[in-house]
Amino acid sequence: MSADLKFLVVDDFSTMRRIVRNLLKEIGYTNVDEAEDGAAALGKLKSAKFDFVVSDINMPNMNGLEFLRQVRADEQFKDLPVLLVTAEAKREDIINAAQCGASGYIVKPFTKATLEEKLVKIIEKMKQ
Amino acid sequence: MTAPVSNEEDLDALFERVASERVPTVQAAAPASVQAAKTVEKDTNAVVAQTGDGSPPDIFDRIGKLTRNLHDALIELGYDKAVQSAVSTLPDTRDRLAYIANLTGQAAERTLGAIETAKPVQEQMQKQATELSAKWDRLLAGNMSLDEFKSLALHTNRFLHAIPGHTEHTNNQLLEIMMAQDFHDLTGQVIKKIVDLAQRLEGQLLQLLLETSATQQGGQPVDVNMNLNGPVISADGRTDVVTSQEQVDDLLGSLGF
Repeated sequence: MSADLKFLVVDDFSTMRRIVRNLLKEIGYTNVDEAEDGAAALGKLKSAKFDFVVSDINMPNMNGLEFLRQVRADEQFKDLPVLLVTAEAKREDIINAAQCGASGYIVKPFTKATLEEKLVKIIEKMKQ
Repeated sequence: MTAPVSNEEDLDALFERVASERVPTVQAAAPASVQAAKTVEKDTNAVVAQTGDGSPPDIFDRIGKLTRNLHDALIELGYDKAVQSAVSTLPDTRDRLAYIANLTGQAAERTLGAIETAKPVQEQMQKQATELSAKWDRLLAGNMSLDEFKSLALHTNRFLHAIPGHTEHTNNQLLEIMMAQDFHDLTGQVIKKIVDLAQRLEGQLLQLLLETSATQQGGQPVDVNMNLNGPVISADGRTDVVTSQEQVDDLLGSLGF
């Protein structure tokens, strides 16, 4: 597994960012940066190279879906994996996320096993 | 209406299907189907109707008339819709608060459970390490027979082999404690919504009060500061609450306890 991937964790709750960061560390990814909303995340994506984004949806300023749309609209990020981790569990939210180009969708509360499974799946797809 | 997805396999299947059919330019419109509750009006009518059958007429008639008057007055003032929408948010708010109580309760249980599971293992390791190191001290001081030393080496070896299992066990409990903290994000989102609702409700009720009580002066202010109010939400500018155990102890001390 390519453990040197650089992650960007986007969530408005610092506790959740810490949880995701710690889980990534447990799984073997230690290169992690954080952003508190979609706008801050876009800024970080443009100023440094990231290999993987894990983002919440419901955030002030710029929510995760709008962030995802802008990421996909940019030619250089069109293949960047974006895994959504969110409390939004409505069918229309999930459909919306998939149509916007999300690489995966995890509903909170989630487990380490779920996160790991999705990461592995997406990373394998990346390699193809 | 869209139902929340509970089954994880369902969710995955749905996501995969939609993702594979994705056309990048498609923008799904979000239909906002807000159902306005009409329970207030119905209830009021029901009360007025029921008081007619076979009950002592006087008091119920009067309550009925008062209710009708209030109802008419609200409609006349244009507040019926505002009050209706305010009232219709209450059951939702109750559910949200119950959700918060439930989630925080679960988080506390999970955390305490993990600690109770991890502690005995830690204590056992500590005890064994203390015993072994005491024996090693004895060996280094030259107070140990060969047989005792052989037994010590065996025990130490066994202890060292057991440590990775113990630490893994503890590590898993620490992970469990960490994951239990995810309630903060989930309840935080719900609390934000309830605060918004409460602000709207307050605004609507306050406006109603101002309009309807303009001619009625006096009236006893309701004392909302009863005892057993639960945790203090905001101690700013309040002199009637304590914010630390020190203050509790000082207060009790000053009273001679």
